[in-house]
Amino acid sequence: MTTTATKTTEGVLTARRPLGKRIYRFLRSIPTWFLWILVILWTVPTFSLFVNSFRTRDAQRASGFWNALSDNANGYDFPTLDNYRDVLFPDVGAGVGNALLNSASIAIVATIIPIAIAAFAAYAFAWIDFRGREWLFIATVALLAVPSQVALIPLLSAYSNGVAWTIPVLEKTVTLFPDMDLSGEIPSVWLTHTGFAMPFAIFLLHNYIAGLPKDLFESAAIDGADHFKVFWRLVLPLSVPVLAAFAIFQFLWTWNDYLIALTMIGGNRANLPGTIVVASLAGEFGAREHLLTAGAFVITIGPLIVFFLLQRFFVRGITAGSVKG
Amino acid sequence: MNRLVITVLGIVAAVGGSALVFIGINKLFDLTEERYPQYTAIAGGLLSGGVFALLWGNRMIDSPVLVTVIAIVIGAALGYALGIFEPSTQRLAVGIGGGAALGLLLGIFAQGPTTDGETEITGILPSIDPVGIIVGILIGAGLGFLIWVLTGRKADRLLSRMALGLALGWLLGAWMAAELTGSRAEVLIVAVILGGLVGAAVGGRTHPDRVRRADISLGSRKYIFLTPALVFVGATLVIPLLRTIWLGFLTGNPNDLRWTGLSNYADIFSDPGIISFGKAGDIIGSRLFWVAVLLLVIGTVVGRVLGRRVGTGFSVNSGSLSLLGGGAILFGFAVFTAVRGTIPNNLWWIFSVIIFAVSLGLAVAVLADRARGENIAKSLIFLPMAISFVGASVIWRLIYVARPPQDPQTGVFNSLWIMFGEWSNSTTAKTIVASVLGLIIVALLYLAWRGWQAEANAVAAGSIAIILVLGWLAYRFLGPGLGGFEINEATGDVVAKPVLFIQEAPWNNFWLMVVFIWIQTGFAMVIFSAAIKAVPEDLLEAARIDGATESQTFWRVTVPQIFPTIGVVVTTLIVQTLKIFDIPKVMTNGNFDTQVLANEMWERAFTQLNFGLGSAVAVVLFVAVLPVMAINIRRMQRERLG
Repeated sequence: MTTTATKTTEGVLTARRPLGKRIYRFLRSIPTWFLWILVILWTVPTFSLFVNSFRTRDAQRASGFWNALSDNANGYDFPTLDNYRDVLFPDVGAGVGNALLNSASIAIVATIIPIAIAAFAAYAFAWIDFRGREWLFIATVALLAVPSQVALIPLLSAYSNGVAWTIPVLEKTVTLFPDMDLSGEIPSVWLTHTGFAMPFAIFLLHNYIAGLPKDLFESAAIDGADHFKVFWRLVLPLSVPVLAAFAIFQFLWTWNDYLIALTMIGGNRANLPGTIVVASLAGEFGAREHLLTAGAFVITIGPLIVFFLLQRFFVRGITAGSVKG
Repeated sequence: MNRLVITVLGIVAAVGGSALVFIGINKLFDLTEERYPQYTAIAGGLLSGGVFALLWGNRMIDSPVLVTVIAIVIGAALGYALGIFEPSTQRLAVGIGGGAALGLLLGIFAQGPTTDGETEITGILPSIDPVGIIVGILIGAGLGFLIWVLTGRKADRLLSRMALGLALGWLLGAWMAAELTGSRAEVLIVAVILGGLVGAAVGGRTHPDRVRRADISLGSRKYIFLTPALVFVGATLVIPLLRTIWLGFLTGNPNDLRWTGLSNYADIFSDPGIISFGKAGDIIGSRLFWVAVLLLVIGTVVGRVLGRRVGTGFSVNSGSLSLLGGGAILFGFAVFTAVRGTIPNNLWWIFSVIIFAVSLGLAVAVLADRARGENIAKSLIFLPMAISFVGASVIWRLIYVARPPQDPQTGVFNSLWIMFGEWSNSTTAKTIVASVLGLIIVALLYLAWRGWQAEANAVAAGSIAIILVLGWLAYRFLGPGLGGFEINEATGDVVAKPVLFIQEAPWNNFWLMVVFIWIQTGFAMVIFSAAIKAVPEDLLEAARIDGATESQTFWRVTVPQIFPTIGVVVTTLIVQTLKIFDIPKVMTNGNFDTQVLANEMWERAFTQLNFGLGSAVAVVLFVAVLPVMAINIRRMQRERLG
């Protein structure tokens, strides 16, 4: 961004004093340094976690992560995998390994269900004509802004007691949703995530599907393809990029989720996902504090891999719709 | 093991189940045009089977499997017959007959009074009550007529609509309103008549011709494609939201909720922990406040003076904006450190996160645009987006950790802070730092002067802004000292004094916000970056040809172009920040004056089991996002409805 500015002002300055020009140019490059200083500042925290996770408990307590390389000289073992062993395996320590399986179970299923359901709806909103379509779409997507907190209490009681409705005048009770003892179980988290994901998923997929070329649908209609065939044979294959974008977004969201799992699974330790187990390690000061680093890194590494491998899709998922191109 | 099974089952159900149901239903409606009888047969079987399965689920019938199978068979046969017969008398007869058969089945197997272990089951046998029946029939007739009027008053549909209304009325009057203490004979009568009426409603419709069948096939699709999503949205968002609003007016423990009107809201807004203006007067005495006012005044003056030089009323450039922005930040902080409580905390979060995430995100997007290493820089800034809030909280605890003063500090912040403290107590270090700062200030003064001469106002004002900050730093270093130390009064020794970043209110709030800013800057950057790349190149080119400096091009062309995007980022951040939960929960659990609304709601509802108050707090959150929702709706309306 500095090129033109230096050119114009340079023109004035060069004629007068070469030293001044050099200083001026040096100072004008400060913004570029600022970028890289920010980048370093942004990376140090994650890096420090990574380094500390390979240090022993005593080393972590005795000095900061920047001293890691002198650990061996100070009588500590570095790098060591003990923290990882202690944090992953239940017989030794925190049992985050088991929690990771729960996280995977939650995230995989809670990613697949919404994709399918939202793709149907996005297609309907984009290419099936019916009365009130625009309004229904706007109403659905407007729910994007609703904080999930407003739904937690009724949902939890629905999962733990079912939903029954007593018809006012007649005094008869009808069961609308059976009591299936879902609270504390993983399926309750699936259902909740699916519902909460709907507005964003429909919004994202609709943006893409509605942008597919109209000719495609017209020629398909001339060939006698109905909506189902068009959706199955045409729209789904063409939408793979946006489906991938949503899948990555939703996977990270559900894997990283804390609130919904904490509310719906609550006290059932065996079913808790990684985020909650690690957070509870953070709650107990002292004793197992050194395991926090390894624990946090273990729950972070999956998202980081997904992030680095599929960043392009993730970025697309985030930017879609917010920028009119 | 169990978990593996449930996961695999979940995946199979999610993929296979939903695909099969979806494909199946689509295929079913594909039949309507060419093979109508098959369609009606399958639909009839599924419908009556579904109804009986529902009754079974509600413990309303005996020997469920057998009954459901028979119901499917009768339903399918009825459907097939209606798919074939065209004359209306035959259809009516078949409909009534089939419906009555289903009614008979229901009547025979309806659950009578019994006990299942401990629990008593009342059963569903109605005792016939003439008054109820007469009222029911009257309501039903009215209802049927109303449906008929509302659905277009087609003469050939009158019979079927009336039968439908009467069936509903009969169900209400003869069954649902009745005492459930009747006999088997009574339930048989009631059920057979009900079945007959439903059958008449179905059979009373004319056999659809090709055009109508094509309409059915086409018209069904919107329901097939939309229903799953709308069911989820309704069941997990809309209905719970309405219920939460209702619960906000109730009080008591979860099993015994009573109406209490607005008292939950009165409790919220009168709780000093949630909002308290007690110390608001301190703001006048706070240095932060006066510095903020000073910066705002200087910023305004700079903007005015520069604006006059270029001939506009007020010059928007990096200089005037950094002064005004700095002043606004300090002003906000002065207010939020004086007015305390959960709600001010939330507002403070929104204030800080928006200002810092948006400005840093925009700065990175601009600086990285077409710079060397753009992708690496952007990836690394963006990386925290992939990390969970829990992971981020753990990471930042390491950065903030405070060890006892005599021990070495292991957190980056306290290490640096105490190092500064040591420097400002050592004459050598003090001299070096002061001279370095002095040199930089001199260089900046020179830069400001050159910038002023070259009419690069932004450079001049920006330099002055930085000089102010550095000058203040130099003063602190040379004067009262800067950094984490205190002087032991007895011995005169300098003792390290770490900052308890997480515990010391009110500033600990800001340190928690930093974690969120760290995450959200990447979000803002990615979106701004896309928007900047979408600014038409010829616009920028035109500005440059007209002789605009790079800074002018940015403020006068790029920023107005990406303004709608800034709006999107700000509204998204408001929503995200408003419901912030994980970071305070993990780092402080709302202690040390760091409570926020989402955690307040969670504590009230799930720790104290006060559903009423918890719901009321949730409603406050919901009301707070309403303006954002309205903005979003307006924007979508403009885009879609024109």
